[in-house]
Amino acid sequence: MLFSRAFEGVGIALDSLRANKVRAALTILGVAIGVMVVIAMAAAITGVNRSVTEQLEKLGPRTFFVFRYFQGGLNISDGSDEMSPWRRNPWLTVAEAEMLRRVPGIRSVTWQENASGPVSAGDVSFSSVNVQGFGPDWILTQGGTIMEGRNYTALEQAAGAHVAVINDKLAEQLWPGLDPVGRRLKVFGEPFDVIGIYTEPSSLFGDNNSPTVFIPHATFVKVADYWKGWLMFAVMPGPELTVPEAQDRVTAALRAYRGLKPAQENNFSLVSQDKLLESFDSMTKGFFLVMLALSSVGLMVGGVGVVAIMMISVTERTREIGVRKALGATRREIMWQFLVEAATLTLVGCIAGMLLGGALTLAVNKLTPIPAAVPLWSVVAAVAASTVTGILFGLYPASKASRLDPVEALRYE
Amino acid sequence: MSDRVIHVEELVREYPMGGEKVLALRGLTLSIRRNEYVAIMGPSGSGKSTLMNLLGCLDTPSGGDYWLNGQEVSRLTDDALARVRNKEIGFVFQTFNLLPRASALHNVELPLVYAGVGSRERRERAVRALTRVGLQNRMHHRPNELSGGQRQRVAIARALVNEPSLLLADEPTGNLDSTTSEEIMRVFSELHAQGQTIVVVTHEPSIAAHAERVVVLRDGKLDSDTRNRAAA
Repeated sequence: MLFSRAFEGVGIALDSLRANKVRAALTILGVAIGVMVVIAMAAAITGVNRSVTEQLEKLGPRTFFVFRYFQGGLNISDGSDEMSPWRRNPWLTVAEAEMLRRVPGIRSVTWQENASGPVSAGDVSFSSVNVQGFGPDWILTQGGTIMEGRNYTALEQAAGAHVAVINDKLAEQLWPGLDPVGRRLKVFGEPFDVIGIYTEPSSLFGDNNSPTVFIPHATFVKVADYWKGWLMFAVMPGPELTVPEAQDRVTAALRAYRGLKPAQENNFSLVSQDKLLESFDSMTKGFFLVMLALSSVGLMVGGVGVVAIMMISVTERTREIGVRKALGATRREIMWQFLVEAATLTLVGCIAGMLLGGALTLAVNKLTPIPAAVPLWSVVAAVAASTVTGILFGLYPASKASRLDPVEALRYE
Repeated sequence: MSDRVIHVEELVREYPMGGEKVLALRGLTLSIRRNEYVAIMGPSGSGKSTLMNLLGCLDTPSGGDYWLNGQEVSRLTDDALARVRNKEIGFVFQTFNLLPRASALHNVELPLVYAGVGSRERRERAVRALTRVGLQNRMHHRPNELSGGQRQRVAIARALVNEPSLLLADEPTGNLDSTTSEEIMRVFSELHAQGQTIVVVTHEPSIAAHAERVVVLRDGKLDSDTRNRAAA
């Protein structure tokens, strides 16, 4: 019985929406925008999270990193020493990485620095291309494959040879349709021989889409113009060690190498993928909270619209309310009718918002490398939030309607 | 007592108006038996609208008592009054007061919705009520697709569908031409003949002439209460 009344309410609500299209559309718009923001943001954040997780998984779940300094979240510095804790830590060096490679149980250590610089070939030139300087074994820790040609050898690496592996994107831009292996290009004005084409696994924020050139690290430090002091290591433990065991060994080896006394703190940072993900999560969570606050403002605006349209609706239908009361509707039944109407309004807005949010997600998917996907919880949250908005903001007009005096209401013109 | 549908005693209704109190009813006593057909008349300001609101349980008196079908209803809460209206009273208004966007059938079903009757039974009873007023062929029309007389028949069907102990009509022909008025009054007479208790509030003597008893109010008091020989 309550059900049939609810359906009647929905029917009445849809009727009155149809009768006042523009007014209803404006009200719905407010709710729809709020919902759209929630859905699109949730989708984008899910996409970013997923892409980070995927990238880390490709690295091999056991790889961990050594940084000069690492702290989760955003680091803010005013340039002073106490606001810049990383200044207390000495730079990591290639020698340290080479030392760590010899620690028993460690399968591989690669080191890496990167920069952005000019790359040209013939008439084609780009002013800012991603240039990566990698130590040996980088394919192992980085994932991806050499599709054509070869990687640079340990010898070329040690000698600082002018050889380059480029990714398929850069190849496509420099020599469309041609085989780039054996051709020549200039990086930071210096000539390099292309020896291989690298295809990356899909990765974060469109790195897979941006043209990149990979050169031996020893060559990188000679030719590149870069921000010095931020060499990082990626460490892959052997199968005989657990990740914490491997981290302990690396920490001990690095402390011994640097001659730290037992009382001294580590002057470097070890970061496992879990920790990286954790810090990333906390960042996206903060971001998401801000977006949630913004979209709830949108929902509030929609809610105020709901109040307005419902107040008008109650006034317009004073007589109808009087008739319904004369026929035996109790306060609660009148209240219920108008609440259902308000909830229907917001629910329609919610559905519109979800469609818009879905469209936006599709657009993000197509136009950016973020694999955005609408998570189920955001749909549930959006429906719940807009229903609550509808009921909350419908409460006042509905209770006003329910308290109308039937005699007055029947007399209303 | 048991055959009295309505019994009011010393009924008083006062309205506050600009700091003063206006007495619309000043101690009215009246009984209406089952299957009576009563017209309530009186000039404007005589208190007949007030009385009709009180009899219809749309309003509560400031003083006095009202027994409707044996139940004291003068001190009930709003929601209890709503239940009484739903069960005991069928309203017919001057302006029909049908829901404009609902079909005739749906309009007639409405009191049953509030009575909590299941949808199948609701439909059956609404169809029966519409058939009773001769509108079985117009059930799915909306009010704006019906003539004035047909609209008032829908309203009558709606008033009857709950089998109320009292049919209360407020100027039921006020918006109708004289031919249609006669038609509606014939419906009332038929219902009366079938045993329905009817109270019609009107200022038109020609309408009141259809009733078997005419109660005239003046200044919030009973002025006259006469049997109508012609109709009886």
